[in-house]
Amino acid sequence: MIDVEQMRKSFNGTRALDGFTLHVGAGELFGLVGPNGAGKTTLMKVLSTLLPMDSGTAQIDGLNVNVQTREVKRLIGYLPDQPGVYQDMSVREFLEFFADAFQLRGSRNRTAVDRALKRSGLADRSETSVEQLSFGMKQRLVLAKTLLHDPKVLLLDEPATGLDPLARIELREQLKQLQAEGITILISSHILSDLEDICTQIALIGAGRNATDAEGHSVLQLRAPQPAVRIYEIELLGDNAPAVTIVNSVAGARTLESSADRLVVEMTGADEQAAALLRALVVGGVNVLRFDHRALGLEERYRLVFREKRP
Amino acid sequence: MNPMIRKELRQRMRERRGWLLPSLYLVVLGAVVTFAYFVTTTDRGASGIQGSTVGVVLFLTLAYSQLALLLLLAPIFSAGSITIEKEQRTLAGLLTSLLTSAQIWWGKFVSSLLFVLLLLVTSLPVLSMAFAFGGIGPWEIFSATLTTVIILACMSAIGLYCSSAFQRSVHATAVSYATVIAISVVTAIVFFVRLTMYESAHRGRAVAVGSNWFGIPLNIRAPMYVNPFFFLTASFAPPKQLYPAWITCACVFIALGALAVALTLRNLRRRGDL
Repeated sequence: MIDVEQMRKSFNGTRALDGFTLHVGAGELFGLVGPNGAGKTTLMKVLSTLLPMDSGTAQIDGLNVNVQTREVKRLIGYLPDQPGVYQDMSVREFLEFFADAFQLRGSRNRTAVDRALKRSGLADRSETSVEQLSFGMKQRLVLAKTLLHDPKVLLLDEPATGLDPLARIELREQLKQLQAEGITILISSHILSDLEDICTQIALIGAGRNATDAEGHSVLQLRAPQPAVRIYEIELLGDNAPAVTIVNSVAGARTLESSADRLVVEMTGADEQAAALLRALVVGGVNVLRFDHRALGLEERYRLVFREKRP
Repeated sequence: MNPMIRKELRQRMRERRGWLLPSLYLVVLGAVVTFAYFVTTTDRGASGIQGSTVGVVLFLTLAYSQLALLLLLAPIFSAGSITIEKEQRTLAGLLTSLLTSAQIWWGKFVSSLLFVLLLLVTSLPVLSMAFAFGGIGPWEIFSATLTTVIILACMSAIGLYCSSAFQRSVHATAVSYATVIAISVVTAIVFFVRLTMYESAHRGRAVAVGSNWFGIPLNIRAPMYVNPFFFLTASFAPPKQLYPAWITCACVFIALGALAVALTLRNLRRRGDL
């Protein structure tokens, strides 16, 4: 549904996107993560037709976003980071205006607005001034506005920024519901736990390019079996210095975190490697209280990819 | 109807300045015309001034002071028009809707201009005072109004260009005012300085601006063709005297406005600075 090949975009000589490639299948809820300045917002702006790219190709449902902008606008709903609202309008007026802007006239306008009000949970506040809504309500209103024209693709740039935990949970549920309705969603966020909960795949972006994990993957499969890189938590009794030395001497093992009684170790390779590490610790005289395999969360995987790349 | 026009008019009329500015405008205009009336008629008995002369003085006072006031007010409505969308982060929503850049511009332009025209219309009661004295015909009213509308449309287009070029309303408004001052004051200063130098260099051929406008070399009178007050003056002149100058001024203002429109649309289509 979304196909990006070798996209490049510069601002005054600074490369914001430098050959980024992305493929998002229809109906997917696809995440996009990367550090600040990685090019996420630029990518979203190009896909939403706000910015022309310098080179490469970008298609949404087969339509060229640089050329067929009007057709692409019909297909997409774009939620920018820090979206704005017209404070001096009522909730209904705000939605009516954007329904009008999407050429929904007469009964189609009313139907779309009523459905958006219901979907956002703001039906009982339709005559309230937008100014009087809480931040979370405004975010719901803007998302409802984004959905007015029934887009097939949603481009969400940091939609959870500034939301309280309850509002974030509501947003996650709403996005799952939209995915269930067949809408393709590309979402960028720094809240990795949210993405981990809802996304099927996550693309890594760094310095405008596809970033890769230790195994060379630029897209993390969140519902797939764990990758060959695993994390082990080791609880110790006594001094941890000998344990760190032993860990770092075992092939494929690397200490990620070290505290007085606890080590977090990254292991590559098969389970035999982990067994060899445990054996080496015990033989080396280290008192191991616990040796646990920890499922690799998105946060750790993100950290593994971007830790050494941080300026 | 273009949704942008409906939205803009609704928002403008809800603002406090929606009623405050027309009220202040009328108060100032009324005060100026009243002052002009008393100055003109103070020694009426002694000089035997005609009622039609009073009417002409009031009309001219009204026309020039109205233009001056509207030139001061026009940037308020147009220069903040697009920057406010940037400041409140709503421009991306407009540009990713099915509204075209031209529709967005048109909505902003019409609402800015309509509000200024509203002020023009609210001055009609004051204008009727001049009518009461006579000396003014429908043609003068029509040509002065048409000229004022052309000038204001051009200034609104320039204000919108500034609004599309800057991120903040304060900067766009400042540059719009600088433009107003440049075309109203700087052009007049340049013209009169150069005219004085020309006259002193050609002492035998002194030039009377009103009677022999075309006797002044083009390179000296050229700045006045972008001066709104000269444009308005040209609209009052009998056809054989300044009518060609009025046509030139109209072409210059329309060309300036068209250039501003083209640049604004280019800025909106470029969209990179949201």
